[in-house]
Parts: sequence; C-alpha cells; structure tokens
Amino acid sequence: MLETLGLMGAGFINALTPINLLMMAAGVALGIIIGCMPGLSAAMGVALMLPLTFTMKAETGLIVLGAIYCGAIFGGSISAILIHTPGTPASAATAIEGYQMTLQGKAGKALFTACYSSFWGGLLSCISLYFFAPLLAQLTLKFRSAEYFWLSIFGLTIIAGVAGKSIVKGLISGALGLLLSTIGLDPVTGAKRVMFGQAYFAEGINTTCALIGLFSMSQVFILAEKKITQRAQATKFTDKMSLTRDERKLIRPTILRSWVIGNIIGLLPGAGAAIACFLGYNTSKSFSKHKEMFGKGSIEGVAGSEAANNAVTGGSLIPTLTLGIPGESVTAVLMGGLVIQGLAPGPELFGKYAAMTYTFFAGFVLVQFFMLGIGLLGCRGFAQISRLSDAILIPCVTVLCCVGSYAIHKNILDIVVMMTFGVLGYFMRKLDLNTAAVVLALILGPIGEKGLRNALKSSGGDPAILFSTVVSWVLIALCIVGILSPIFMGKLEKKAEKEAVSGTAEDIEKLTEEDSV
Amino acid sequence: MKMKKTDIGIVVFMYLVCAYFYSQTVNFRADSQTYPKFTIILLFGLTTLYLLQMLVAAKKHGVESGVAEVFKDFQPKQFLFCLIGAILYVVLMHFFGFYISTVIFMAAVLLYLRVPILHSAIAIVAIIALVYFAFGKFLGVKLPIGTVIKMLR
Repeated sequence: MLETLGLMGAGFINALTPINLLMMAAGVALGIIIGCMPGLSAAMGVALMLPLTFTMKAETGLIVLGAIYCGAIFGGSISAILIHTPGTPASAATAIEGYQMTLQGKAGKALFTACYSSFWGGLLSCISLYFFAPLLAQLTLKFRSAEYFWLSIFGLTIIAGVAGKSIVKGLISGALGLLLSTIGLDPVTGAKRVMFGQAYFAEGINTTCALIGLFSMSQVFILAEKKITQRAQATKFTDKMSLTRDERKLIRPTILRSWVIGNIIGLLPGAGAAIACFLGYNTSKSFSKHKEMFGKGSIEGVAGSEAANNAVTGGSLIPTLTLGIPGESVTAVLMGGLVIQGLAPGPELFGKYAAMTYTFFAGFVLVQFFMLGIGLLGCRGFAQISRLSDAILIPCVTVLCCVGSYAIHKNILDIVVMMTFGVLGYFMRKLDLNTAAVVLALILGPIGEKGLRNALKSSGGDPAILFSTVVSWVLIALCIVGILSPIFMGKLEKKAEKEAVSGTAEDIEKLTEEDSV
Repeated sequence: MKMKKTDIGIVVFMYLVCAYFYSQTVNFRADSQTYPKFTIILLFGLTTLYLLQMLVAAKKHGVESGVAEVFKDFQPKQFLFCLIGAILYVVLMHFFGFYISTVIFMAAVLLYLRVPILHSAIAIVAIIALVYFAFGKFLGVKLPIGTVIKMLR
C-alpha cells in the first residue's frame, strides 16, 4: 500500500516536469481541435500523432496520446452546442440540449457545463484507473502460453463487434488482420514467410503505418468522396461562461451518476463513449426534478452526457493497459502507441515499468485540468476552427499522414504501406468492415502466435493443452461473451438513443446522420 | 435484410486473400506453417459463414444492389483526383523531395477543390512550417530530398 502511494506521488513529481506539462497542453489543444471538427475522429487524431511520440520518453508519449484522447472527446461538444453538429459521435446527446441552450442565448453556459462536467467525469474516472488497473494486472500473472493465445482471441472478439452492423463482418476483419500479421519472418524460428520478395517486410507490417492508413488516410478518402459544403456558421455568444452556485449544486449528482455509468461502459467490451453519452443523458433525465426542461435546453442533460463520455476515458484504459484488450478504436490506437514504445500491457507495467505507468496516470489526471483551462479559455477560437472546410483538411491530413509514416524509419516504402492501408481502410469502412479489428489483430497476432506455438511445443503438439486450465475455459467463455456482446450493446444503444431523442423525427434523422459521419 | 450485391466483393476478396496466402504457406518450413494455416482456415470459415448468411438473406428477402447506399453522394471525379493526387504525391516525393512535392500536391488539390488562393497559400505555408519545426527540428527527421534534387546537387 505504502509502496503504491509512493509510486503515485513519484508519478506526479515526474509528470510535473516542464516538457510533460507543455506536451499535456499541446495534446489537449490538438485533441479539442480534432474533436470539434466534424469528420475527424479521436482515433484518427491519436493515430496521426503517434509518430510524433517516437522520440519522446514512453511516459511523455503516452501522456500526449492520452491528452489528445481526452481533448477530442470534449472537443466534440463545442460544435455540438454551437452548430448542432457533434464533432464526434460521443457528443451526439450533448447536441440535443446544448443547441437548445444556444438558441436561447445561453451558449456560454452550455459550453461551461460541458467543460466542467467533462473535467469531473474525466478526473473521477482516474480514481478507478488508479485502483482497478493494478488489481486486474495481477490476474495476468497466472497466464501461461495457452492463456495468452486465448487472451488474444478474446481481444479480437471484443473489438470485432464494435461499431459494425454485422458481427461476422467484424470477425472477418479480425481474421484478415491475423493473417496479415503473419507477414514477415517467423517470430519463433526466424524462417521466411510471406514477404512479397522484399526484405522490407522481414519485420512484418509496420503497425504505425497500418494505423495511420486505416484511421487517418482512409478518412481523407471518405472526406474526398463527398461534395464539399460550407459548414454552418458557429453561433457567436456573448453570455458569461459560468454557472451559479445553485446550478453547480443541481448538476453535481448528475455528474456522479454519469461518472459511474461512463466508467462501467469504458470497462465493458464493445461499448464506448457514444453509448455512454446517451446513457448518461437518459439517466440524468430519469433522476431530474426538472424533467420539463429536457428537450428545451437542460444543463443537467448536457452535464449527464458530457460527464459520462469523459468518464469512459479512464475506464477504457483499464482493460487496455492490464489485459491488452481495448474496448474501442481509440484505445486500440493507444495500445499501438504503447507497443511501439516497446512496452506490453500486463503486470510488467505495474512492476518493472511502474514508474512510467504511474507517471502516465498522474499525467492523465493533470490532463483533465488542462482540458478545463484550455477548454474554457479557447472555446470561442475552437468554435471558429470547427468550421474549417474539408477542402483544406483533405490535402493537409494527407501530407501529415505521409510525413508521419516516413518519420518512423525514414523509408518511402512506409508511405506506400500507409497509402495501401488507407485505400484498404476506405473500402473496409464503405463495406462496413471493421478497421479497428485489423489493427488490433496486427498487434495481438504475434502474441497469439507465440502463445499457441509455445503451448503446442510444450505439449508435444497436443491441442488439448489449450483447454487444460480453468483460466483457459474462463477466457473461452469470455470469447463467446465477446462475440455476443455487440448484439446486447447494439440494442442498448438503440434504446438509449430512442429515449434520449424525444424530439421530432427530423431531430432523430439529423443525429443519426451526424453519427454516421 | 436483403442481400447486397456489394458484399459479394467482400467474399471474393477474402477468398482471394486466403488462396494467395495458402499458396505461399505450403512452401514454408513445416513448423512455420501452423499459425498461418490456422488464420487462413479462420478467415476462410468466417467468409463462408458470411456467404451462407448472404444466401439465406437472398432467399428470404431478395437481392439489392447496395451500390446506391454504399456510394451515396459519391463524387467520382473529386474522389479520383484526390486518390490519384495522393499516389502521385508519393511518386513526386521520391523524385523531387518532400518540400517541392508538398507545394505542388497541396496547390493542385486546393485549386481543384476551389479554395480561395489566400486560404490555400496560408494552408500550404502552415503545413510546411508545421512539418519543418515538428518533424525536421523537434524530431530531427531528415525528410526525403528526392533523387532528382540529389543528382542536381
């Protein structure tokens, strides 16, 4: 206990270095900019910025990525409130009440509520991160080769079901990623496998290039296929960005409820901030003493949605850092950042690399304060940035994708791989296949392969070893749950959406359309 | 839900991937074949399962093109310009280096997408400056100089 407290304290001291603080501020600002631009996503932003973290210390790199993640989730609320277009699906529910408040000349109040609730949601989620992550990591000490194989399959079953209409399509995406992870030299014997006659592929497919291609470059192609239209003018607001003492008191229980909801949703496989915001919103409506205000600009509604979506951030990091099974796209990309730094999720992060991990946790806490400060001070500016045309974004993001890929090994072939994955990602997204599953399979593939082959080697080729322990059976059961969970989550999301949008059919249509963007 | 013809593309693509990887895998050392074969069987099985789902859907609810849904509001000329532009950008970068090719690529795309000249100029300068300071100075990345420029030097 004392040792953990010592690590927590040391983490804060390490996180408070000037470079870390500077990176937190830059990451949050960048995240908010990415989040408030409809069409750009948190996953895309984190993927695009991965190469910038290569030369940084592992903790600083992770802090930057965490800052972008938190900033982007909050940033989506700015355009949701001011132009009725959620920057990310995580702010879809915020648009309902937030825009109503804007129409009433209370945009400042709505933005303050969003920022204040996001801050508390994110900050409180750090508590669970601190206390549950080390406990869960201890569990993995019991894992042997066979369990690692099943763990990799479990990770894939979870992510394969996220954000897609068809579970089988999600699983196909994961299987494709696993197959692509076999490119390069055999990780056990070093023998040549599929290399397309190029020594470049000896180490397999570069995960960062694949990440940038699948998340960022494919988004460029998605933007390029649509007619370029002028974005709605962001409402200029003159009201004060603050809440009265009574209003703060009013939203306090809402924030606490949404924190619990967001945290649980973050931990759950296949769920994410988009579901949490609707659940947070609905719960705030159910418990409110002013139900009549919902649909007419309720600050409780904004607080419920925003606290819940930001509470997801800390919660979703727990399975990512401990078991290596991210529940959504952004954390899958974040895990890529961890692996690229040469670190593996699991007990080592809380043992050998505890100093780094606790510095990252402390940084994640401090990021919430930066989000509050930068969010409040920069709202007006960010609102204008959110109107940046897709016509400008298309070439700018393309250039950044190319430079980011090149920076890894200073090899132009990396750009070619990134571009290939960009095209693949575009068609996958058009055909409702899951790009996050491919990325996760590329990361988990080698872990699963080593687990499978070492287990078979130790049993003399007898596959019964894969089913020989209780932990293996628990993981197999979890795989089945992982496959079936999207059905439950999909129903939950639809139900929450229906309950949340109590307005007109036009409202529902608009939100659904924005969600798909 | 009706079967979509566009999904046939997915099935064909996945079978082709399986066939290619299988043809390569049989040439590996015996112990290196285990895992690739496992993933090929997995992908093949799941694709077949999806094909069966499609056939059941076709029998129950009929068949639809799916193209209209997948390519709703699709702007073919604009898309192809950006796609080919991005590919040519990489080729140009190989010959003329990062800075020259970036200016040409960005100017061409911004011009095609009818962005006002002043905005275009600001965007180009901002990106070049960002890359120069963030990647060139901060990360110390030596950006591609280009084979032609190297020869001229």
